[in-house]
Order: sequence, then C-alpha cells, then structure tokens
Amino acid sequence: MSNVALHGLNKSFGDLEVLDNVSLEIESGSFVSFIGPSGCGKTTLVRVVAGLEAASSGTVLVDGSPPAVARSHKRVGLVPQQPGLLPWRTVRANAHLLLDINRAANPPDAANPNTLLREVGLGDFMESYPHELSGGMQQRVALVRALSLHSPLLVMDEPFAALDEITRSEMRLLLNQLVEGRGVTVLFVTHNISEAVALSDRVIVCSPRPARVVADFNVDLPRPRARDIEDDSRFVELCAEARHALHGAMRP
Amino acid sequence: MTRRAFAPLVGIVVFVAVWEGFVRAFNVRPFILRAPSSAVNYLWKFRSDYLDAAWVTVQHSMLGLLFALLLAVAFGAVLASNRFLERAAQPILLLIQVVPWIAYVSSVVVWLGLGSAPALFMVTLVCLPAFVFASVDGMRSVEPATLELMSSVDASRLEVLTRVRLPSAAPLLFTTARFNVGLALAIAYYVEGANFSNEGIGNIGRSAAANNQADRLWASVFSIAVVGVVALLLLSLLERTVLHWHAAQRTENR
Ligand SMILES: Nc1ncnc2c1ncn2[C@@H]1O[C@H](COP(=O)(O)OP(=O)(O)OP(=O)(O)O)[C@@H](O)[C@H]1O
Ligand SMILES: [Mg+2]
Repeated sequence: MSNVALHGLNKSFGDLEVLDNVSLEIESGSFVSFIGPSGCGKTTLVRVVAGLEAASSGTVLVDGSPPAVARSHKRVGLVPQQPGLLPWRTVRANAHLLLDINRAANPPDAANPNTLLREVGLGDFMESYPHELSGGMQQRVALVRALSLHSPLLVMDEPFAALDEITRSEMRLLLNQLVEGRGVTVLFVTHNISEAVALSDRVIVCSPRPARVVADFNVDLPRPRARDIEDDSRFVELCAEARHALHGAMRP
Repeated sequence: MTRRAFAPLVGIVVFVAVWEGFVRAFNVRPFILRAPSSAVNYLWKFRSDYLDAAWVTVQHSMLGLLFALLLAVAFGAVLASNRFLERAAQPILLLIQVVPWIAYVSSVVVWLGLGSAPALFMVTLVCLPAFVFASVDGMRSVEPATLELMSSVDASRLEVLTRVRLPSAAPLLFTTARFNVGLALAIAYYVEGANFSNEGIGNIGRSAAANNQADRLWASVFSIAVVGVVALLLLSLLERTVLHWHAAQRTENR
C-alpha cells in the first residue's frame, strides 16, 4: 500500500499551463478516480505521480519518497489506455514482461502471473498471441502485467476507454474483485462518471485546463461491490453529485 | 504448402520452355542467348567446379550481408536515439547508396588485393545503408506507450533495445534483407571476376566471357540464379518462423 502526497503541484509544457497548484493527500489502500473534461491534464497528473514526467514546481511524494525512487523500486504498476501488448510475446510472456525487465528490483513477493491469468479467465489463452485476443482480453492481460509486480500503487489511465459498454462493465467487476482485499492504492483516470463511482472510494473532479481540484468526495458504498451496485439509490445519488460538480466546473 | 509451391513451379517451367523454344526457333547466336538445355548440360558436366565456386560466392555474399546487418543494428541503435548523429550519418549513407558501386569497385580491388577481402568489404559496404535506414525506422516505430511502460519499471536502454526495439525492427530488416540478397550476389559475382582470384562463380563467368565460351558463361548464370533462389527461399522460411506473430506472415492475410 502506498500513500501519495501532492503539494502545490504545477506543470507547464512551455507556455501551456496544465496543472495549477494541485494538492492532495491520498490514503494508502484507497481507490481514487480522477474525472475531468478532455485535455484538462489528468494524464499529466498521473504521469507525474508515476515519475514519468517531472513537475514544474511543487512536490510529489510516494510513500515519502520522490516518484523516481518508487519507479526504480518497481513500486508503480502502470496500466495504459491501450493495452500495449508486445505482438511477438504470448499472453503468458506479456504478463511476465514487467517482471522480466529490471529484474534486480523485483519484489520478493511478486505475484505469479500465471495464477493471475487464470484468475481473470485467461487460463486457456496463455500460449495465444495478442492478435488472437479480443480487446477486453488484451486489457485483462495488461491488468495482470501490472498486478504481477505486486506493486503497492497502481496507475491506470482510462484503461477501459477503448472497450464496448458490456465488456467495460465486466472489467469494472473484475477490477473490483482484483483490488478489493489486495490493499493496493489505485489512481484511476476516466471520463465515465458511473465507472468512477462504481470503482472508487473517492472521486476527484478536475477543472478544465489548467487542472485544479474542484470537487473531492468520498464514495460511501459498501464493499465488496457487486454487479447490481449500479441499481443502488446511493450510487445514483453519487453519480448525480459528480455530474453536477463536473458541469459546474465546465461553466466559466 | 505443396499447393503454394505449385504455381511458382508452373511459372518456371513455362519460362524455361519459352526460352528454349525461342532459341531453337530463331536460331539465336550461341553467345547472345544459350538454350537452357545446353547450359544445364554443361553445368552438370562440370558440377563439382561449379559447386566449389558457388560455395565461395555464397560465403562472399551471405557473410557480407550478415556483417552489414550486424553493423546496421549497432548503428541503428545509436542513430535511433540520437537525432544529431542520425543527421550526420545520413549524407554518408545516402552517398554509399546512390554512387554506383561499380564505379569505384576496381579501386577497392586494387586496394584490398586478392582473396575474399574486397568481395566481403564491398558487399558489406553497399548493403549497409538500406539496413541502417530499416533499422533506424524500425526501432523508432515503437509505440510511445510501450516505451512509457518500459520506463515505468526503470528499464535500462539495453533492455529497451533488446526487448522492444529490436523485435520491432525485425520485419523491416527482413524486407530489406530480401532486397539486399540480389545486390550482394551481384557485387560478389562482379568482384570475384575483377580480382583474378580464381575463385567464385564470378570468376568463371568473367573468364568465360573473355574467351567467348557461351556454355561456360550461361552455366555460371544458372548457378548464381540457383544460389539466389535458394537464399531467398531460406530467408522467407526464416522470416516465417521468426516473424510468425507479424501480420504480414499470417496465413489469413496471404
Ligand atoms: N508532452 C507534452 N508536450 C506538450 N504538451 C503536452 C504534453 N502532454 C500533454 N500536453 C498537453 O497538456 C494538456 C493536458 O493533456 P493531458 O493528456 O494531461 O489531458 P487529459 O486530461 O488526460 O486529456 P484526455 O481526457 O483527453 O485524455 C493538453 O493540452 C496536451 O496538449
Ligand atoms: Mg488522458
């Protein structure tokens, strides 16, 4: 489990201001979603936390250390928007990819990707190649690839955006099952309000670029979250609340 | 597989038959174009000479090709990560590519003398640019998201090179190799004929041409053709094994 602390974070690309004084404390073990208008800076924010981009000013601490330290200890599991599987590797080899790289930093308690693949229903596809899989299956491999590091922090940037609605809700359920009880901290970027509410302990709404935090609320829905959580009246209320915050932020 | 081999075979048989018929019907002067039957007869009679010569030519062309490929991978790895060096190298590579090798090959032969050195050097040099361009383009073709994934676990440059960049460059390198095979054979043949080393198919061809020995010349044309076809076949076999994952190699796309 990781806790993440952001203090007065600013980021510009040349003259383009993307992050405006973002400060957040993220408790370890919580699932936090970021929603906001397209192009507001969500990807940039999580890339800074993952140590893939340097902030222009302000501090980021992951478990009390700069993100570069977390990265060099393989304490960040990245799930990108496109699964990005290597076409020449089998499903099994793709799931092992992050363990095969920079082996010296592998945690002693790394998960077994084969077990995880079975857990996400890909047991029969271990020797298949990515081109033989559907989009949802590919994204499940990408999930396993990140989870196998046993990293205390997962950074997921719209991982389900390219999937159809049915596959998406399956993936929601699966992700909830995978992270509940694993005690991992998750930073999750999405455009989808109900996805954010269904998955998260906390939803953070960002303003249009440059991104500021305009709303930040807890999702007090019980866990484990079942498939019918979306019929819950509290779920509907929370979605409405998030939608209002988002629309409020969009108005000049 | 047998079905796939059938169509090309028909093509070859028809081609050889038309050639044979043409030479017989119009009574073409022997040195200009020889009937395949007569060249093949000659080739069969002196098969062990031609086999020895072919082995030398195979070594010159294929080793040269291999050196060029290895150098290109090394250069590609450096140039793909350094725009300045890439820009600096570009004119040199383009010069090698556009200046006809046949224009300066005699000087190289004089410089490197007898034996295999000039043949290997020329094949390596002339095949290098296309391989380097393929290697740089292939290594650059990696998705930024994949590179980001690699850097999220602090992958070293060497790991990125071997795990991601090199496999990404493989399809383009294979395509280039197929194109370079013909070039390598032409250069090996020519240099063998030019340096009086008494070795290689090129040497037989050159002395046959100088002495007006039509059968001997056309038998050497046939044997270099066989070397080329076998090389291409082996290359596509290798390609199909190594790149089975690549879209161009999948049967449903054929
Ligand atoms: N490397 C970069 N160089 C220059 N500008 C960049 C870079 N990365 C992002 N930007 C700019 O920063 C702004 C925010 O981009 P970012 O990708 O963080 O937005 P986002 O909220 O993730 O958008 P989306 O919801 O569409 O994914 C955009 O205007 C983008 O053009
Ligand atoms: Mg984004």
